[in-house]
This record gives sequence, structure tokens and C-alpha cells, in this order.
Amino acid sequence: MVIHPVLLIAIPLLFAFLMPLLKRAKAVTIIILLFNTLLAILMFHNVYNNGPLYEIIAFSPPIGIYLYVDNIAALLAVMINLLAFINFLSVEKVEIKFAMLYLLAVASSTGIVITGDIFNMFVFFEIAAVSSYALVAWKRDKEALEGAIKYMVLGSIASVLMLVGIAFLYSEFRSLNIYDIMNRMDEGSVLILLSFAFLLTGIGVEAEIFPLNGWVPDAYQGAAGSIASLLSFGPSKAGIYAIARLLMIFSWQQSYDLALSVGIMTLLIGELAAFRQENVKRMLAYSSIGQMGLILISLSMLDSTDYAIIAFFFLLVSHAASKGALFLLSERKGFGSNASKYAGIVSVMSLIGMPPMAGFWGKWYIIMGAMQMEAWWIIAAIVFSSVVEAAYFARYLSTTMQEEEHASIIAAYPPAIMATLTLLLGILPFIYKIATIGGVING
Amino acid sequence: MRRMAGIVLAALLFACIMYAFTFVKTYDYNSSDYYYTDPIEGGKVNETVTGHYIENTKNETGAINAVTAIVVEYRGFDTLGEVTVLFTASTGVSMLLYSLHQRRKRREANLILKEGSKIVLPFILLTGAYIFIHGHLTPGGGFPGGSVIASGFLLMMVAYPKYFLKESRVSITESVAGMIFVLIGMLGLVFASYFLENFLSLGDVGRLFSAGIIPIIYIAIGFKVGAELSGIMNNLKGVEE
Repeated sequence: MVIHPVLLIAIPLLFAFLMPLLKRAKAVTIIILLFNTLLAILMFHNVYNNGPLYEIIAFSPPIGIYLYVDNIAALLAVMINLLAFINFLSVEKVEIKFAMLYLLAVASSTGIVITGDIFNMFVFFEIAAVSSYALVAWKRDKEALEGAIKYMVLGSIASVLMLVGIAFLYSEFRSLNIYDIMNRMDEGSVLILLSFAFLLTGIGVEAEIFPLNGWVPDAYQGAAGSIASLLSFGPSKAGIYAIARLLMIFSWQQSYDLALSVGIMTLLIGELAAFRQENVKRMLAYSSIGQMGLILISLSMLDSTDYAIIAFFFLLVSHAASKGALFLLSERKGFGSNASKYAGIVSVMSLIGMPPMAGFWGKWYIIMGAMQMEAWWIIAAIVFSSVVEAAYFARYLSTTMQEEEHASIIAAYPPAIMATLTLLLGILPFIYKIATIGGVING
Repeated sequence: MRRMAGIVLAALLFACIMYAFTFVKTYDYNSSDYYYTDPIEGGKVNETVTGHYIENTKNETGAINAVTAIVVEYRGFDTLGEVTVLFTASTGVSMLLYSLHQRRKRREANLILKEGSKIVLPFILLTGAYIFIHGHLTPGGGFPGGSVIASGFLLMMVAYPKYFLKESRVSITESVAGMIFVLIGMLGLVFASYFLENFLSLGDVGRLFSAGIIPIIYIAIGFKVGAELSGIMNNLKGVEE
């Protein structure tokens, strides 16, 4: 069977365009997301058995554009679409415009992950960013608007910088294809150096790395729970994957060192800031920043150790699923039902890094990698941040467990399903095989 | 203080970017320094991307305007994305402003503006339509054509305080035009082998009915951009119930 990855983007776009005519927003969106998830799983199955998959669009690259799907990209596509599907079930009242923006955000995050062309990636970043601004502002109260404005100002500057970076890259290579550029990359001229700096800054805003994450706490605080959850598994994860590809394109030792120092700073500052927060959503947002730092550290080891890619995979997926669940739960005061309690505890355990959750394996492999590199201070930073994490999450659990609030049953299950995914990911051994076979992140 | 620091930082960034542009080399488009590698087959190809566009546009796409050929054919997927960016922005604006009915009292425009805009409107619309219908032959295309059309409606909104476009018509135009773009892409998948590949005959190069799917896509983009920009202005003005 021939799989067309382009449908992962084209179908949601088509139905986002058609939504005003269709009216039945909720049903249509659920069907599309389900279809996308199944297609992504089929695509992953195909890639897993037959190796990387590419899809030419209009003309063969680098004359035209192509989509390039390797194991990691296919897994991320599955993750984004599956979590988007589960997350959407928790939204009770669906307006047409909400559904349109939601579909666009999901399709563009998938696009960032599977595209093989750097300008195409920029276009998807634009869609992801613009739809996120609108979604963050969805509640239309003061907090939401403040978060959206901050996000929009930083995001627009970021996309301009990204565009300039791509222009410099093009002027140096006269090509926009990632594989082509990667193949011809050499020790940098001034322009290549600048384009790396601009691209890193531009994508860094979306990927929430220090010091470009000023928008994160406000945007997450203002957004509704389901939107905060979407932001944490959609655009931001696609952004960090784009940074992984960026590091692969340039692959200088210095850029890995830069990623390492930025990652450590992001980790420590995020976790320490989370410790001081009173507001639940702000605390979760700062904790997300810290986890992004951890993922960036795993990326900085890509060149030095084989554990890095496994750690990257586990950290990314476990953080996406457990933070998604926690953001959904943050809409309510207390956990109330047993399903919510289960979801909260499992997600928190995974984030702190307790066995046998997926988050544990992420931290385990990143520490194994650091030991192989004999970088003891990385281990010290990770252990320290885990202790801080444990402290504030313990406080979080102790306050939320006591409060009782009865929410509708439908709203309680999506976080529980996400938590189960984290649990399964940690327990089932075959996942390990999938992660190792992922190998290199390619162009 | 913060403001000063911001201005200084912005000026430095601007100077840095401008300085960097002096390093951009001018080059011969067939220079062997820029021969690309084929991402699928691997290995160097004795051709540059720019050179390929310049030499093969007419045979491969049937468009005389090479810019159009690149925008709609070679990199059509990006254009689909850019159209979607505009669509997302217009959806976001209408979502945010739809509930706020800030209708201020506006002064009536003078007679010259009122009567003049009535006379000029059809010509503005015609020019816009001309620009996007002839996108593959002359400079211009869907984006400028759509903007010209939207500017016509802007003129009407300035001249008549009570002039509104019907929200439902704007959104139907947007939807249908966007649908046509994506469906043409999918038909490429069905009738040719790739998404957005040209599946119609290229026709007689240089005639209006030529270049396969390019004019169809550009007409859809023209309608879509026109509807989106007019819709944004409509919403900014305050939606009529």
C-alpha cells in the first residue's frame, strides 16, 4: 500500500477551509484527527519496515519540495496527531473557528516534523504560530489577551529572524533543500554563521529555550487547559525537533556546545522558577521550560553518544503526554474522580523521572550518555533539577488531591488516556527497539 | 531606559543584518560552485537550482512569468502554506473581534469621495481580476490581484460608513477557493504522480488558456486573498448583525 504523508497536511487543511460550510465542527474534527492518527500509524509501520519514506511535491527536489519521513519523524507525527485527537475529546463546547484553528495548528506541527525543505518548514512555523496566537487568546479575558500579545510580539520577531536566516543560507548554497544544504555544508563563512544564529533564535522562541521564552508562562496561564496542552505537545515539540535538525544541518562541535550550555541554563532556570510559582498553570509552564532544557541537553549529545537519540525520544514523548494530561487537569481545582487522580499521579511520576514511567527512561539514558562522555556536571545539574521538580510536584499533588470537584466523566478520561500512554511507553520493551532503530535525525 | 536599550538593540540588529547582506555574492547562475546534490538519488548533479528555473520554466510549466512558475508550480506547497497563514490570521481576527461591537459614529464622507468611489469600484475589481487571471503571462498574480480587489472594498468602506460585506459570503468565498486549491493538489496525486503536479495539458505557451493548473490555482488564490483581506477589514470595522 502506498502511503502519502502529504495527506497528513492536506486533509486537515481542506477541512479547515471547509469548516464554515460544514457546520458540524466537533464531529468533523474528531473524524479528521482520527483519520490522521491512523494514517500516521500506518506511515510509521511503513517506515519502520521499509526505511525512510519521501514524498515529492510537484517537482523532484531540490527543484521542488519534498517531505522526508524517517523513524523519529514518523513517531513524532503519530504522537502529535494521537495526542491532538485525545486532547480534542476533552473540549466540551466546540465553536467552528476553534475547530478550524485547532486543525491548522495540528497540521502545521505535523508539517514542521515531516518536511524536507527549510523554507517549507518556515511556512509551517508561521501557520503554527499564527494559529497558536489566536488559540491562546480564545478565552478573550485579560489574562488570555496578555499572553497572546506577548506570544505574538516575540513570535513575529522570531519569524522575521528565521526568514533572514533562511535568506542567508540560500544566498550561500542557492538551495533550500535540507539534505542538499547538509551535504554541502562546510566550515562557516560569516553568512552561514549568522544564518545559524538567526535560525536558532527564531526556532528557539517556538521551542521555549532560554532566554527566548518570556512568552511561555503568560501564554500558558491565559490559555484554556486544552490549548495549553496543545501548545505543549504540538508547536513546541515540533520546534525542538526543528532545533535537532538545525544542529544536524550545521553539525559543528561549537553548535553542540552552545546547545549544551543553553540547555543547562534553560533546565535550571525553568525548574527554579517553577518552584516559586503559586499559580498551577504558571508552575506547569515553567516546568515545561525546564523539560525543554533537558531535551536540548540530550540533543547536544547527539554527536558524542548513541544514548542521546533514545533519551531525546523518551523525554520528548513522555513530556508531551504527561504535560498534556496535567494541563488538561489544571482546568479544574481538584482531581475529583479516580481517573483524574490516576492521571495526575502517573504524569507527575513520569515528569520527576520515577521508574517505570517513560520519563524515567529519558533521564536514565541521558545520564548514561553523560557518564559515557564523563561529563559529571551534566549529571549533577539533572539530579539537582529532579530534586527541585520532586519538591514542587509533591506540593502540587498534596494541594490538588484534597480538593473535591466533580467534573463530567468525558472530561476526566482524556488525561487518563494520556497518562496510560506514558505508562505503556515506560513498560513495554519493544519501544526501546523503535527508538534505537531511529538512528540519526536526517535532513 | 528599557526603551532606549530596545531601540539600541534593534538598531544594532538592523546594522548587523544590513552589513551581512554585503557578503552576499553575486554569481553566474551556472557556476559549478552551486551544483546541487540530489536528495533522493544522492550524488552531485551538474546543474544549479536557479539555472534549472531559468532554463526550463517554459517547457516544464508552460508559464512565461518565471516568478509565477516558481510560486505556483515548483514551490506550490509553500504557497498553499502562505495562503493558509493568511486564512489563519483572518480567522483569528474575526474570532477576536466578532464579539466586540465597537461601532463608533463615523462622519459622512464628502460627495466627491462617495460618487467617485462608486464609479471607480468596478474598474478596481476588473484590474484585480485581470492581474490574477493573467498571473502566468504578466507580472502579478493571485496575491497582488486579491489585494487590489480588497482595496476596492476598502475604498467603499471609507466612503460609506454603513457599507458592510456579508460575513457569510466572504467566508463561503474563502472556503470554496481554499478547497479548490487543495483539491487540485490532490487531483495531481490521482491523475499524475505527485501532489500539486500539473495534470492538465500545458497548451499553447503564451496564450491565456495555457500552463495547465497555474491559472486555476491563481484564480482561486486571487478570490481567497481578496475575500480574506476584505473580511479582515470588515471585522476591524465592526461586524453588522
